[in-house]
Amino acid sequence: MADNILKFSLNRATNVEKLDDGNLLSVCHLRDTFTEAEIRMVVKMPELEIAEISGHFRHIYLDGIDNLDDSLKKVLGVRVGAGMLKIIKGLLGEAENLDQIVYMVEECCHGVILHLTKKVLLKAPDDPAGRQEFYSEMVKKSIRLYDRCAAFAKGSPLVASLEAEKRAGGRF
Amino acid sequence: MISEFNRNKIIDVALLDEKTLAVHGILNDSIYSLELDFKVNLSDLVCFEIEGRWLRYTTPECPQALNFLAQAEGFCLALGIEEKIHKTVGRTSCRHFANLLIECAYAVRETAKLIRYQEAQVHNPELTWQEFLLGESETGSNFSQKAAEDTEDASVAVSVAAPATGEPAKRLPTPATGKSGAFIIDMHMHTAPASPCASDSVEAMIAKAQRIGLHGICLTDHNYLWSAADIRSLRKKFTFPVFRANEIVTEQGDMLVYGFYDDVQGIIKLSELKKRVQAAGGFIVAAHPFRGFLTFGADDIGLTPEKARSREMFQLVDGVETLNGKVTATENGLAREVAEGLKLPATGGSDAHDSSSVGLYATAFTRPINNEVELLAALKTGDYQPIKFR
Repeated sequence: MADNILKFSLNRATNVEKLDDGNLLSVCHLRDTFTEAEIRMVVKMPELEIAEISGHFRHIYLDGIDNLDDSLKKVLGVRVGAGMLKIIKGLLGEAENLDQIVYMVEECCHGVILHLTKKVLLKAPDDPAGRQEFYSEMVKKSIRLYDRCAAFAKGSPLVASLEAEKRAGGRF
Repeated sequence: MISEFNRNKIIDVALLDEKTLAVHGILNDSIYSLELDFKVNLSDLVCFEIEGRWLRYTTPECPQALNFLAQAEGFCLALGIEEKIHKTVGRTSCRHFANLLIECAYAVRETAKLIRYQEAQVHNPELTWQEFLLGESETGSNFSQKAAEDTEDASVAVSVAAPATGEPAKRLPTPATGKSGAFIIDMHMHTAPASPCASDSVEAMIAKAQRIGLHGICLTDHNYLWSAADIRSLRKKFTFPVFRANEIVTEQGDMLVYGFYDDVQGIIKLSELKKRVQAAGGFIVAAHPFRGFLTFGADDIGLTPEKARSREMFQLVDGVETLNGKVTATENGLAREVAEGLKLPATGGSDAHDSSSVGLYATAFTRPINNEVELLAALKTGDYQPIKFR
């Protein structure tokens, strides 16, 4: 059996660019063995609201989506942020041929969030001690990071000072 | 035109032998670079031998994430496994590894379908995809059932309460007030299993509220309506004021709704919710309206109170939650500035999902409140304020 020959391959690319008016354009493109699809989304800044959205979807065995752009318009005005996936799923529905569309809308939103995250992370110092302090302060500023992943798990050096404040009766 | 952020994901699936798939996934973006390798049983889509690698990461502790990837071994990667991956790999390892694993799971499902189609074609070379899929649904649903069972292991199933009518006005034995004369209610909290994201029972939450000296609590489980009978039973058992409310998801975010007893499921447009709540005489509070992101906040993106006030949401709500226990001081501060600017009343609540957070923030009313009718009336007067309770 030729195990070096792939049965299936997938390429997904998400790109975010800043438009002349300051808004963000996020594009997610998928090409895999069965699918060719794209979602384009403009996010209004600084409100972070989905202002424009369009896309196309072709799949080998799933039916196409009638009036996809009309369906996508249901998410106009949704704010990119915490809780958005539940809202996007609820508005677009969970039919099998919409499953990938929902995921790609979510990927566009994640692209925007990660773009804005990158701008914050660029402020991290280069030296190890400085980085440790930078991320320790980050979790204090945004308590939702606490115990949210291995890096900020209970007992991690990055949350040591936060946990000390907690033991001392702080807000956390 | 400069691309400010790029994320590329490549997933390859090969047939290792007749029973096994080999999966290789790469996530490479402007911040992170990571890889996953694992195998999958073709018969049941269960994954095993998961290995991860970091090539680029952010914090000095990110490498710890690799130690927790093995938690996903044994997962059936059928449709529906995404939530379990988020809750295990995403929360204990790293959400970017979880993102890549979810992408790999999609590729595995498509590969399994392709292989089954090609096998069926050996016996029937003329078989079309549509004909194949007609006979495929049974096998596919078995995989989905397994994934659904896996997901139920990770979170407690929630039963939906029957719609209830408004609770009749009924006085509690001895409503208490604080030293200042204020009557203090935690207006926002979640309980398990009513809210899948909560971890403590309603009994544990009430016990904590009593212990720390709150005068009452509002149960605001997500799109879940407590029955009036359950509430009566809890009030009697604890001799403590417990009120019903609801946190309803709209396209403009979460809304705390008081004095409204429709069982709303799914996403509702805020304008529609407003009509229904107004007709019922209820009260809508925008919950944590500026809850932001894990690493940046409103200040980082230049969202000023003036710009924030123009959001359509604030034309439709009756009040704003300006002290919420799950958001940052900056986010609460922005909510306060917006509420003040629009002259909307402000409330406070812990948004507790376990008993350790009960009462962090609350709302101080000027007089005792015995039942939901009085609570609703008090909310409409605007005669209260959000407070830091402990």
